[in-house]
Amino acid sequence: MNFKNFSFGKYSNRWLTGAAAVAVVFGMTANLQTVQAQKIVTVVLSEEPEGLDGCNANRSTVGRVAKQNIVETLTAIDPKDGAITPRLATSWTKMSENTWRFELRKGVSFHDGAPFNAETAAKAISRTMDSKLDCETRTKSFGDIKLTTKVVGSHTLDISVNKPAPILPTRMGVVSLSSPNTPLDKLVLNPIGTGPYKFDKWTPGQEIILTRFDGYWGKKPVVEGARYIWRSESTVRAAMVKVGEADIAPNIAVQDATDPTMDFSYPNSETTRLRIDVTRPPLNDKRVRLALNYAFDRDALRGSILSKDIEHATQIVVPSINGHNPALKVRAYDPAKARKLIAEAKAAGVPVDKEIVIIGRTNIYPNGTEAMEAMMAMFQSVGLNVKLRMMEVGSWLKYLTKPYDANRGAILLQAQHDNNNGDAVFSIFNKYACGGAQSSTCDKPMDALISKAATQSGVQRRDAWREVNRIIYEDLAADVWMYHMVGYSRVGSRINFTPSISTNSELHLEEMTFK
Amino acid sequence: MAKFLGTRVLHSGIALIGLILAVFFLVRLTGDPTDLYLPIDASLETRKEFAHKHGFDRSAVEQFLVFLKDVSQGDLGYSLRKQRPAMELVLEAYPTTLRLAGVAMTLSIALAIVVGSIAAYRPGGVFDRISSMASLAGASAPDFWIAITGILLFAVTFRWLPTSGVGGIEYWVLPIVVLMLRPFGLMVQVVRASMLGALSSAYVKTARAKGVGESAIIFVHALRNAGLSVITVAGDLTVGLINGAVIVETVFGWPGVGKLMIDSVIQRDFPTVQAAVMVTAMAIFLLNIVIDLLYVALDPRIRHQ
Repeated sequence: MNFKNFSFGKYSNRWLTGAAAVAVVFGMTANLQTVQAQKIVTVVLSEEPEGLDGCNANRSTVGRVAKQNIVETLTAIDPKDGAITPRLATSWTKMSENTWRFELRKGVSFHDGAPFNAETAAKAISRTMDSKLDCETRTKSFGDIKLTTKVVGSHTLDISVNKPAPILPTRMGVVSLSSPNTPLDKLVLNPIGTGPYKFDKWTPGQEIILTRFDGYWGKKPVVEGARYIWRSESTVRAAMVKVGEADIAPNIAVQDATDPTMDFSYPNSETTRLRIDVTRPPLNDKRVRLALNYAFDRDALRGSILSKDIEHATQIVVPSINGHNPALKVRAYDPAKARKLIAEAKAAGVPVDKEIVIIGRTNIYPNGTEAMEAMMAMFQSVGLNVKLRMMEVGSWLKYLTKPYDANRGAILLQAQHDNNNGDAVFSIFNKYACGGAQSSTCDKPMDALISKAATQSGVQRRDAWREVNRIIYEDLAADVWMYHMVGYSRVGSRINFTPSISTNSELHLEEMTFK
Repeated sequence: MAKFLGTRVLHSGIALIGLILAVFFLVRLTGDPTDLYLPIDASLETRKEFAHKHGFDRSAVEQFLVFLKDVSQGDLGYSLRKQRPAMELVLEAYPTTLRLAGVAMTLSIALAIVVGSIAAYRPGGVFDRISSMASLAGASAPDFWIAITGILLFAVTFRWLPTSGVGGIEYWVLPIVVLMLRPFGLMVQVVRASMLGALSSAYVKTARAKGVGESAIIFVHALRNAGLSVITVAGDLTVGLINGAVIVETVFGWPGVGKLMIDSVIQRDFPTVQAAVMVTAMAIFLLNIVIDLLYVALDPRIRHQ
């Protein structure tokens, strides 16, 4: 080759033709990879599940694959109103303060052929509650609550609790039941349940495959199987549904939800707030706490750095949860009132100039850092000495959970809480009771009310939780309330599926149909 | 040669032990991982019980003694996060990283040699200016942005390529192009500069005077002499890639060791971090030995030393 005479020009046509041919071949191949014309649904998740054991199905990464698809619960929680509905149990009766009797569904079998009855259900519950396994269902939803079971008949099971259990049927909505042949001493990657889909294959790092279980006790679902894949980037997940490589992306960022024909917003049961450390000056003065609330322009963040669909919050639970108090009104943005309250506190000797630190957590929700920066500026503008410190989750957790550092200063902790389990008990004790692991308040009369509410049922229970929420909001002003958040899902054009509050942690394949 | 290799292996072994020690204690300085494994709402008692069961409440020295005992029995630890042996996870992910690094670097080096040589042949010419601009842009473009833009353009708008994932050759195009940009851009600059020096040297003038063809002058005589600096830079860039192409692995969903390592660090999955560092370090040591051997092959002066 003589480089002195080298020219790209004379080769350009050939190059362009070649490039076009390659592009066409690639394009055809890529299209062949799409999931069209099959009754298999492809779901693109944000991360690979850590495992798939049924006893961890309360974890959203596991639950979106396994819960009510592979493994089922005795009861289920209706996402619309938090009502308890039958699943593997057909009915339940309160036998005493501590014991409930569950009548189990007949004619049900596990995917490995084992029969579902009172004995196998008892074994599955016992495995979940065994401390050897660190099951998330136990560590998250039961804590110091101990369950014991007694087989009364072939399909009749008594479940007892070590303390009064007025909402045990609600609690059983989080306990997924696995086959009696599941190892008792270790978590499994191949769950065996009674659900409409059975686990087929897991290629680590790449995909999980479920296939329809022909022996399912319920209505035969339309979707024949599911393929779960994962991409960390929301833009990629949204793009995959857009081009037909996937059918559903249950969780995409607000900035990627740009196609109104495919994108759905849904309340995701998450509530955001700044938890005020009410024990440290100047935050131990209610006037300063109220000033923080009045200084926060909630409408400024909505529709700008946060989604336009979020709703102002006044309490830790969303409206569909038992105990939500609809009477609480949002404190309107009023910086003049905030300044007045701070001046009054200062006149009373409160050290309002003392530094207050917002402890934020990176990636707690999209644009969470920007939200904290904006709130810091709002608090500073009314004369408070507020700084922001963002932390990764490991360091942030030290501020969230007791025991707290005795030398800590005045802290506002960026927090987000998820409760789609039907009742305020799953939120209130931990966050506000004197003994709550993440509580910064300790109000004795309220503590007594929390204990009482936990033992009540029906309207009395609802009203007791409402009163607790009122005390937290009006009497204590223990938080800077932010928003009930929303999530976004992208659903492909060939699928009928409407995301709901449960999409945050579960994705029921049986609810999907094809257009 | 055997002595040379023996010395390098010995040095690498000592460095590896030092690295494992450093990683073992440094990751534990980041704190107790109990809070990250348990749900946020777990009670204090549950946290204490968990930390005790998995030895997180012991001192780092005690944990190290347990680690040594386990290693002596061939056990490099178990990933609580993934519920699998840590080394199994790493060895499963590493081939993906090696494939990405191998293809990207091979193509980058080959293209950079051709482009850099042509650019150096006529410095200041049209090709030289275009290639310099393109290589500078490639070397400085943020790969995350390139990756996302590539997906939106070629997968979503034109529908020529798949967005992401692992599969046939079409799945390789975008990740490899993104991975190649920086090494290619840097190496074009290095090849050009080295070739400029080589092409103006006395032996090239002598070769021309003797009537040797231009392509032989460039690719046989000049390139061999310019090769040492190219190998040095290529080796350094390859080390970066076999550490894990985190951005590409994350954006395109390639299950490589880079993403595994980052996730493990964030989740404080100590055994997986240790296993990943160990395997990566061994790969880098091997690569450095290969680079040394290439030096020896290319430069007789080093051979004689």
